[in-house]
Amino acid sequence: MAQHTVTVRGLVRQFGPRRVLDDLDLVVRQGEFVALLGRSGSGKSTLLRILAGLDRDADGEIAVDGTVSVAFQQPRLLPWRRVWRNVSLGLHGVDGREVAEKALAEVQLTDHAQAWPLTLSGGEAQRVSLARALVREPDLLLLDEPFGALDALTRLAMHRLVDDLWQRHRPAVLLVTHDVDEALELADRVLVLDEGRIVAEHTPPAGRPRRHADLTELRARVLADLGVVTDEAA
Amino acid sequence: MSIPVLTADRTRVSSAAVTPTRKPRRRALSGAWRWASPVALLLLWQVTSSTGILPDDKLSSPAKVLAAGVDLATSGQLGDAFVVSLRRVLIGVAVGAVIALALGITAGLSRWGAVLVDPPVQMLRTLPFLGLIPLFIIWFGIGEEPKIALVALGFAFPLYLNVYAGIRDTDPQLLEATAVLGFTRWERLAHVVLPAALPQALVGLRQGLGVAWLSLIVGEQINADAGLGYLINNARDFLRTDQVVVGLVVYAGLGLATDALVRALEGRALRWRSTR
Ligand SMILES: Nc1ncnc2c1ncn2[C@@H]1O[C@H](COP(=O)(O)OP(=O)(O)O)[C@@H](O)[C@H]1O
Ligand SMILES: [Mg+2]
Repeated sequence: MAQHTVTVRGLVRQFGPRRVLDDLDLVVRQGEFVALLGRSGSGKSTLLRILAGLDRDADGEIAVDGTVSVAFQQPRLLPWRRVWRNVSLGLHGVDGREVAEKALAEVQLTDHAQAWPLTLSGGEAQRVSLARALVREPDLLLLDEPFGALDALTRLAMHRLVDDLWQRHRPAVLLVTHDVDEALELADRVLVLDEGRIVAEHTPPAGRPRRHADLTELRARVLADLGVVTDEAA
Repeated sequence: MSIPVLTADRTRVSSAAVTPTRKPRRRALSGAWRWASPVALLLLWQVTSSTGILPDDKLSSPAKVLAAGVDLATSGQLGDAFVVSLRRVLIGVAVGAVIALALGITAGLSRWGAVLVDPPVQMLRTLPFLGLIPLFIIWFGIGEEPKIALVALGFAFPLYLNVYAGIRDTDPQLLEATAVLGFTRWERLAHVVLPAALPQALVGLRQGLGVAWLSLIVGEQINADAGLGYLINNARDFLRTDQVVVGLVVYAGLGLATDALVRALEGRALRWRSTR
């Protein structure tokens, strides 16, 4: 039986009288790529922050096994540390210039190791953020709309990069997104969060890379779960 | 012709870029011409002095000021006064820095610190601190202490305010990002909070040094028996306006020098920002 990296049962998170997460159950298996879809404000970030240990005011059973890394929608690099330093921060204390440069090579940023973060483009900064997350060799990689602020072309390149990195390192991934195509292209399993719990689960075809055409029907079903009616579903 | 177009173009470029880029030839021209009016004023001053329009006991001529400067410098008086004044500023700034950093960091880092430290400091700040001189004389006498205390106080307020503000403005997102990486409170302080507060703290340093020089000048008016203020007061008693001006020039030079020093420090410490 496969090991579980994330096991969550009966998770409740309230802000005042509002239950943003309400009796939520979630399992992520070792090395599994899970995408979490949901409308804006449905509690996706809240769930991710709880799993990252940034929010300790939740009730319920929460078990995360192993090292956790997070990449946020904004790259959140320290502007006063050079790019390679920002990556080696992920190693926490260890002065791993070599490791950092290897990680930067993986995101095709070898030339920018010495650069200051403020000189990077949005996509480059986000790749540094990914390198910083990966350099820790995490068992669980939490991604909170990491491509949300990028232009469409950069986003496509980032999809390929993340897919590539995941295949190479095999962490369990929980990718939060509101982009249905992104979820269907990248994930083994697509979950839909609504009203504080997981309301639907879909499994895209196994092969990679996935062909857009093969996903049409599934996309319509997922969109229907999200409350969007399309021609295909109608 | 095409000149108005070029001018308009240039304005657009310089307002868009962080550092205005102009044609080198134009910069050289305006650079030289910027000296024209100061030099003219200096000449005017010299001419009015030599012709007797500006009497010597009101203001000496530039040539006399220069001669007095050389005189005071070679006799060692200027150097001695300079050292005394510099020492007052250095000690005052050091004391003020310790106080301002301790209070600013305390208030910036802890909620209780902010509640307990900030209100009294804000209240004291509204006092015109030069008005405290009589109290300082009662407390510290008329020796070095009141002068140093005045410098320390004048320096501490701007530094405190900016350190406090800088720490409070630390981006919580960066704190979160490093918390996820397993950073302890102290590591976050060293890697995130203090570097984030540095630009603002340097602004405070610059402002504080400006006030420190002002405090020194005022403080040295009270019963000084050494230092630049003493030199100036002495010269006043003998109507030596040339020596008074020498003292003022040295004050100005010191102010400019510290400003340049802080600027150099900023350039070095904030390299990561200049590349934006
Ligand atoms: N710290 C907080 N205090 C109060 N309400 C919050 C807080 N964080 C999130 N919320 C609320 O919880 C809901 C879910 O937020 P979030 O998890 O950020 O949604 P999203 O799915 O868009 O990531 C939103 O309505 C938001 O206003
Ligand atoms: Mg969110």
